[in-house]
Amino acid sequence: MQTIIYILPELFLSLAIMSLLMVGVFVKKGSKIVNLFSILSLILLIALILNQSDTTIKIFNGSYIIDNLSIFMKVLTLIFCFFVLLASRDYVKNTNIDKMEYPIIILTSTLGMFLMISSYDLIIFYLGLELQSLSLYILAAFNREDAKSNEAGLKYFVLSALASGLLLYGSSLIYGFTGSTNFEVIAANLKEAQVGAVFGIVFIIVGLAFKVSLVPFHMWTPDVYEGAPTSVTSFFALIPKIAAITVFIRFMYVPFVNLIDQWQIIILFLSIASMILGAVAAIGQTNIKRLMAYSTIGHMGYALAGLAVGTNQGIQSTIIYLTIYLAMNLGAFSCIFMMKRENVFYENINDLSGLSKNHPMLAFSFLIILFSLAGIPPLAGFFAKFYIFMSVIEAEMYALAIIGLITTVISAFYYLRIIKIIYFDKSKKPFDTSYDWGLKSSLILSSILVLIYFIYPSILTNAVSAIIIY
Amino acid sequence: MLAHSLFFYFFSTITVLSAVMVIFSRNTVYSVFFLILVFVTVSVLFIMIGAEFLGMIMLIVYVGAVAVLFLFVVMMLNIVEQVIKRPSRKGFINNISVGAIVGGIIFLELLVAIGGWKYKGGFIPLSMDKNYLEISNTQQLGNILYTDYIYLFQVAGMILLVAMIGAITLTFQKKPNVKRQSYTEQIQREKSSAVSLVDVESDKGVKLDD
Repeated sequence: MQTIIYILPELFLSLAIMSLLMVGVFVKKGSKIVNLFSILSLILLIALILNQSDTTIKIFNGSYIIDNLSIFMKVLTLIFCFFVLLASRDYVKNTNIDKMEYPIIILTSTLGMFLMISSYDLIIFYLGLELQSLSLYILAAFNREDAKSNEAGLKYFVLSALASGLLLYGSSLIYGFTGSTNFEVIAANLKEAQVGAVFGIVFIIVGLAFKVSLVPFHMWTPDVYEGAPTSVTSFFALIPKIAAITVFIRFMYVPFVNLIDQWQIIILFLSIASMILGAVAAIGQTNIKRLMAYSTIGHMGYALAGLAVGTNQGIQSTIIYLTIYLAMNLGAFSCIFMMKRENVFYENINDLSGLSKNHPMLAFSFLIILFSLAGIPPLAGFFAKFYIFMSVIEAEMYALAIIGLITTVISAFYYLRIIKIIYFDKSKKPFDTSYDWGLKSSLILSSILVLIYFIYPSILTNAVSAIIIY
Repeated sequence: MLAHSLFFYFFSTITVLSAVMVIFSRNTVYSVFFLILVFVTVSVLFIMIGAEFLGMIMLIVYVGAVAVLFLFVVMMLNIVEQVIKRPSRKGFINNISVGAIVGGIIFLELLVAIGGWKYKGGFIPLSMDKNYLEISNTQQLGNILYTDYIYLFQVAGMILLVAMIGAITLTFQKKPNVKRQSYTEQIQREKSSAVSLVDVESDKGVKLDD
């Protein structure tokens, strides 16, 4: 009975989902109320989770964990979920995805991510993953009238189901070789490398790499990002990454911690391949959503580099990288949401040409965010990469650091190309200037965060330094 | 014990025979009926080894839901042409080599798996467990499912809820020209609003639906 207190946020979220569903079904034109209350419930959830801070406890026979990592990641999920919902309000209103199910499905996927973040057992992890991915399939195909959205949903569904199958196969191997689904028992029973167990680890890493969209399991990312409605793309690019990276950290450093020699090389390969492809493949893109997809792949490669190191400092640098990545991408997608003329949304990079003449402020925020994504010094994106490379160099993995630096330089090219188009190309017809306040506030917030991070970097580093896994 | 083995052989013979008939039956509807027979006899076999929960689930899920769904699908098909057409020998001969290789590999894998199988040392057979004799296995499942795994059980429910919401959002659409039933309007209809008495003049007729 005592454990109920610790799953209060999850209980509240499930009850909110069910009651909002009732409101949506029985109240006529209930989509506005549902939207408002789902945003409010996210704020309430932040309070509920912060209430648990500094507790470390394992509940339900050690299958569910509440610790600093899970609390930090849950708060991160909620904050960015809140801002994504706020920023995409205008887009959702102006396209035909304005249904009452939309915020509810976002809430259910958030519930799935909570389960993934707190999971300390293979079964509960898998259930959380399925709850999250089922919601994401629906979101990707949400715009039914659009053939591209349907294609995105179907593609994501088929490929993701395959990845889930691989993950499940890996889990069953691990269970077979260790005799338990609990992470700690697995760690205790996996002292030396057995061939079957290593196979299981590889399959689990493949499944996870698919969910984070790492090379060579990234094929779905550009198509799904392009096809899905932009509001859903922004959700895809931000929120599921948090849960997936958390699960990555948890898997590598709790159950498989004794086999670090076995999985380190795989993680290194995934990281390097993602960095290279993210830098090279984005150069030829003309659609900004596709470009963001490749940029995401590259950034996930950098985040994983911190994970490959095998020190607590590496894990913390990954978490910092993830946080700053979220702030930057929120800004980038807010800018994309502003690319509309007479309620039609544009997605091509060429539509941005000469933006600085008509919209100097929007162009300036875009400039800050793109510079930060490229990793130019005083901005937050530089610090994110700095922490990662610091931990990589301290672990004496110089090759990884050098490749990372080279790909950073290459990827700077396509970010700078957009800046060139914005500032130096011929201007086109101006975009609509009547912005939604939610969209405006999330863009302003993310630009300011990115711009002034260097004044107080200790706020984030202190919060992260409490997370000790390894 | 004799009666038990007699029943076992009786039901397992029916299972194997009807499984064969699923493939060899010319009429697809008969195939589905044989499939249902397979499910029923397998569930009887489960009940005979004391796994009554599994047997009942087999009946409810496979016979009650899956097989009926199959039957619906099969009955939607136009199977008259397929019954007349005999399968040609040519396809059989062309594909036999690949099929034989794949079948052979699977058979070898089965041999290896069964040949290499041995119980792990710590395993206790069910009959040695004294709880097994006192509590039925439905009760045992319930004991675990609603206590240790209650959280997982509830989450599984949430997943089903999401699947349902998804199926409805992705397929249900309100079309403007489709007339929908309105219960309140139907109930509120009275004689005065529905029936009107008209004096009909001869040779003129009545105009309806004005």
